[in-house]
Amino acid sequence: MSLLLKQFYSFFQLLNSETGINQLAAGLACGLLLGFAPALSLQTFLVIFLVFFFRIQMGAAILSAFFFKLVAFLFDPLADSLGRAVLESQALRPLFVSLYNMPLVPMTRFNNSIVMGSMVISLVLLVPAFFVFRILIEKYRATVLARFQQSKLWHAYKASAFYNWYSKYHQLYG
Amino acid sequence: MTKTETKKTKSWIRWNAVVPFVIFLAILFVYFHFFFDHNLRKGLEWAGYKAMGAEVDIADLETSFWHANLHIHDIQMTNAEKPSENSLEIGDIRFGMLWDAFLRMKFVVNEATVDNIRFATTRKNPGRVAPPEPPKTGPSFMEKDSEELKQQALAEAQQKYADNFVGDLAAVLGGADSKAQLGKIEGTLASKEKADKIEADLKAKQDAWNQKLKSLPQSKDIQALGDRLGKVKYQDFKNPQELQASLQELNSIVQQGDAYSKQLNGVSQDFDKDLKGMDTEVKDLDAQIKADTKSLEARFHLPSINTKDLTRALFNKYLGKYMAKINRYRALAEKYLPPKLFKKDQPKVADESIQPHPREKGVTYEFTHPKSYPLLWVKKVRISSEAGSSPDAGNVRGEITNITSNQRLIGTPTIASVDADFPANNIHGASLKMTLDDTQAESLVTYKMAVASYPVSGNDLVNSPDVQIALKTATGKMDVSGELKALRDFKMNIDNEFNGAQFDIAAKDATVLGILKGAFAHLPAVNLKGTASGYLPSISFDVESNVGSELEKALHQQIDAKIAEARKQIENYVNGEVQKTRDQINKQTQQIRDQFNDQVKKLQDQLNGQKKQVEAKSDQAKKDAENQAKKSLGNGGQKAVDDLKKKFGL
Repeated sequence: MSLLLKQFYSFFQLLNSETGINQLAAGLACGLLLGFAPALSLQTFLVIFLVFFFRIQMGAAILSAFFFKLVAFLFDPLADSLGRAVLESQALRPLFVSLYNMPLVPMTRFNNSIVMGSMVISLVLLVPAFFVFRILIEKYRATVLARFQQSKLWHAYKASAFYNWYSKYHQLYG
Repeated sequence: MTKTETKKTKSWIRWNAVVPFVIFLAILFVYFHFFFDHNLRKGLEWAGYKAMGAEVDIADLETSFWHANLHIHDIQMTNAEKPSENSLEIGDIRFGMLWDAFLRMKFVVNEATVDNIRFATTRKNPGRVAPPEPPKTGPSFMEKDSEELKQQALAEAQQKYADNFVGDLAAVLGGADSKAQLGKIEGTLASKEKADKIEADLKAKQDAWNQKLKSLPQSKDIQALGDRLGKVKYQDFKNPQELQASLQELNSIVQQGDAYSKQLNGVSQDFDKDLKGMDTEVKDLDAQIKADTKSLEARFHLPSINTKDLTRALFNKYLGKYMAKINRYRALAEKYLPPKLFKKDQPKVADESIQPHPREKGVTYEFTHPKSYPLLWVKKVRISSEAGSSPDAGNVRGEITNITSNQRLIGTPTIASVDADFPANNIHGASLKMTLDDTQAESLVTYKMAVASYPVSGNDLVNSPDVQIALKTATGKMDVSGELKALRDFKMNIDNEFNGAQFDIAAKDATVLGILKGAFAHLPAVNLKGTASGYLPSISFDVESNVGSELEKALHQQIDAKIAEARKQIENYVNGEVQKTRDQINKQTQQIRDQFNDQVKKLQDQLNGQKKQVEAKSDQAKKDAENQAKKSLGNGGQKAVDDLKKKFGL
């Protein structure tokens, strides 16, 4: 649990810093993929692996996964129809037959209509979502964060002994 | 270089994540190496307990990730009805899956082995049995369980009927104390009530008739007519006026006599009519007596013997145990098989409850080609067991081929073939051939099971207060065959034969005991044939046996005589109860008839006597008047005589 809380704290810290826009945007985009994928599937493990080994903000991915899990739940009827249409497409039938009989690929559960529909939706949204998240983070920093840093409350906090002590602690121990 | 600059040069790869990842893998390895087998064993035991309703123990379980195999050692399934025993014990189950298929999310087993199968073994400690499920509350309980309870009550009633049937036979054979029973129902007979009513009516009629008799002309009235007649002058008339007066008086007496006679005839006709009505009532009473006799026969359960009833009565208890087992497994199948298999043809009812979200299901497609693996495929299960490896083990040899989730893909049905002997339990020549074919449009399960010889002992057939019959020992032979179409249409034939059957027979009455012992002693080999058919879950069951017909032959003569005797007893009772009243009615009717006839006849005779006297006197008066006229007028006065005759109207 403390590991999870640390990730959330890092997310807010990075969000309010001046760097790491791509990390954050990639994390949120990966969360979108995780939210739309079934919990026990090959693609989920792959995304977790990516988030774990590449410099993608983990807290952002987790928060985004929770959020998009709810969104995906609302999108299920649409995903079901879309998935059926894709899986029943005669043109794609030979591809699916090959995939179904390949090692590992069936572990994605792509042959289920909801999983296929959700996968199509999440892949289509992945790249646009990455850029939208980038823009949103920049806007947040330029407006909300800048305004907050100019507020008296923030100046008072910055002048406090606690802030000085914490800054020192953070410099030493990260 | 500043700290910020150092941060900026960080690699895209998180090298510091390698150590946690390795630690995670190590934990995973440790878990699967040391704890997974234990947890899986406990999980299987729990699942077995939940599914079977009785404790399932697994002595040891080993898995190997690299070889994708599983070895389960010593599975004990507690007998829920006898927790100190296992219903089934399996020494070893071994199988290995194909990695090639496993990577494709398919479970394919080339060969599984099931070794050392034993039945009814003794447990070290009694197994835990799941308590019965608490009764459900609310309207769903009423709807769902009322039918079940009704069926249960019917089954119990049928069982009671079976015992009562033989009990009734025994009561009739032994001449149970029916007098005492008859005494209890005295006064409730309809014929008795009717007889009492007729008697009361008769008394009322008798009073009415007495009143009528009183209103009739009495003897003194007729005597008064005689007195009047005596006073009428019928000779020596002095003048014609005197003669005329006499004739007028005589005429008046005749008219009075006729009036009396008419009155008597009228009353007599009324009386005859009443008597006819009474006769009809008495005839109705006879019919009521017959109806009462039949009703009493039914009340005393005088049974009519037929082979089917006898067979049912004798083997209901014996088959009940097996039917209970069938019902238990049927309930398990209903619980765990997909609902659509059991409710295929039932009309769809709109479900008002919340529908599951599509996320629950979706549609899963199978993209197969002729060389694909099906989702599940156990190519061969080899079953074997050697007698002597343990006291209860038997010689079992068999195999089940092609257990699969998609028979159409592999193109072959599932076939099970097992031969077994259990020398320790004296079970020989047991075999099972079963085919499960889902390659056609409608699935078809066919099965044939046989046991060449098995011991039968201590089976209660009848256990009523009057009679107890138990199949003490016998050597059984059994053939069972049948089929199940589309997992709905069920057919089964059972052919059982008991050789060297010895029965334990006890009866309260010595006569019954003698008859039953005699009949069973001369029975040849006993056979029992049963058929079950119907659409699951409703199955009708029918049995027939040569015991029924043999016993029927042996018992028929004695029972017919006894039943006739019992019928006679009932008839006598009815007649005895009603006949007293009936005789009394007849006696009273006759008495009234006699009394009436006597009185009316006497009056009629008296009246007729008087009438004759009147006629005689009248003739005499006329003759005398004629003679007198002849004498006074002489021979020449013929004209005067004629005139006189005219005058008197003679």
